Amino acid sequence: MAMTHKQKILAAARGERLDKLPFGARIDLWYNYNSAHDSLPEKYKGWNQVDILRDLGAGVQYRHLPVVKEEYQDMEVSEKSDPPYVTTEFRTPLGSVYKKVLFNPYEGPWQGYDVEKLFKSEKDYPIIKYVLEHTIPVSDFEEYRKVSDQVGEDGIVRTGGASPAQYIMRDIMGYELFFYELMDHPTKVEELLELVKDLERKKYEIAVKLDLEIIQVCENWSDDVHTPVFKKYFTPWFQEITDLLHAHGKLAIAHLDGENKRLIPLFLDTHIDVAEAWTPAPMTLVTTAELRKAWGDRVTIWGGVPATLFEPTYSDEEFDDYVINLFKEIAPGYNFIVGLGDNLPFDGKIERVRRIVELIDKYGTLPINF
Amino acid sequence: MLDYSFLSQAVIEGDWNKATQLTTAALDSGASPQHIITHGLQTAMSVVGEKYSSGEYFLPDMLMAARAVDSAIEMLEPLLSDTGVPTLGKVVLGTVKGDIHDIGKNIVAMFLKGVGFEVFDLGVDVSDEKFVEAAQKIKPDILGLSALLTTTMPSIGSVIKALDADGLRSDVKVIVGGAAVTQGYANLVGADAYAHDGGEAARVCKELIRNKVVI
Repeated sequence: MAMTHKQKILAAARGERLDKLPFGARIDLWYNYNSAHDSLPEKYKGWNQVDILRDLGAGVQYRHLPVVKEEYQDMEVSEKSDPPYVTTEFRTPLGSVYKKVLFNPYEGPWQGYDVEKLFKSEKDYPIIKYVLEHTIPVSDFEEYRKVSDQVGEDGIVRTGGASPAQYIMRDIMGYELFFYELMDHPTKVEELLELVKDLERKKYEIAVKLDLEIIQVCENWSDDVHTPVFKKYFTPWFQEITDLLHAHGKLAIAHLDGENKRLIPLFLDTHIDVAEAWTPAPMTLVTTAELRKAWGDRVTIWGGVPATLFEPTYSDEEFDDYVINLFKEIAPGYNFIVGLGDNLPFDGKIERVRRIVELIDKYGTLPINF
Repeated sequence: MLDYSFLSQAVIEGDWNKATQLTTAALDSGASPQHIITHGLQTAMSVVGEKYSSGEYFLPDMLMAARAVDSAIEMLEPLLSDTGVPTLGKVVLGTVKGDIHDIGKNIVAMFLKGVGFEVFDLGVDVSDEKFVEAAQKIKPDILGLSALLTTTMPSIGSVIKALDADGLRSDVKVIVGGAAVTQGYANLVGADAYAHDGGEAARVCKELIRNKVVI
């Protein structure tokens, strides 16, 4: 019996040999935007994105959904909506902190950007520590299960999260302030980090008991993370969590859609199984051939077709050339899942997703040797 | 001339406390603010930019160095009221319409300020009209356009067309960048230059200014 998309993607993630390249595509940015603006192609109006991908013949890579939610004890948490902003305030006995998120009307109401982070100055450390110490993670599997049932054997629904240091860097403080604080108040940052780790460990303890094959351990991985900081604060965490996932028979995945020239050599130390959303040149400085050379078959790469290639500025011939060349670069083609880096853009050509399926049929038989 | 090597070293190491102390010491020794900026701070930032480009330094190293320079400049600025901070030229920066991403643009701004440009940051989601208005009012040497998204990239082209329509295109060099933007795209929309990151932006902007002077 032929393998399903899900079986093929998981087999490649485990490093098993397949007879043809697997393909899992993310189109949620394109789908959500065009659904909201009533600009889906005529044929797909009223369709859901899973059925569109089925129609195109591609495997489904569904947008990230959490499987754990947070509940708060001994504090008040309020959310105020003032479109396009949503402000969340945490009122604790030690004082209050708040964050403000902008939901970008151009990209759609589902896409939030922090315009004010939770941490604003040194005085916020004890309050944020209190919030973390009084946050209780609980299982929240229903929505994931619903979508997972909808996707079925046709693909994978992503779940998981950021690493603790990245969470502080990206969500609590913001990039610039994180590095200033790390230089000015390293002990305080490290104390915060330990609390986030404790909370994240509890979340993973819940997640490993759920019916999940693959769990994301890092968001938007890129050189911005900073190599020395990566070695000190990221690598040991990835080793700990990936080993936990492996002990429960699960795979670890990292979302790798940024510039990664400097971090590529460090990936192998993390024990992570899959580098997903791989975005090569021309959107970044590294080609897939260079990545393959650096990693060999020790990591499964998922991605390889940068979002910009789906833009009308690239001709159909250029698109074909790029994808065919990608197949040559990854030859013999094992430990590779064809995918988008990282998503189909709003004005991307959806038919090019089908074109990838056709090109895989023509050139993607493994081992690749043309 | 005073020895500015310790001040430069403090900036290169991102030590803003030391940088402010050494700036005070230099002023006390009779150094002019202009000299301190040119020979102490900007020289150091050029070294930082080179270290970044060569792979020795990382983005946070650049942030720390830029913060050290800012601290020193904050002290020197009030003393420069007559002559102003010596600059390599004026750069207007902004993220194009429909795009609210600003980290990359902010990093470019830091690099440019650090090496001695006067930077006017228009922020994010900047309309074509605002860019044109800034080009008319500020009369920058360089206009920097940033777009992270593939869908907002076309706004780069429309800003360039708007500059053209208003007869401003020949007065200003246009440099473009952002995650989705490539050299090929920069050529396609008629930009003068493309930079992949902040370090490259600083180098390319200096080059644009040099070429402008030669012409």
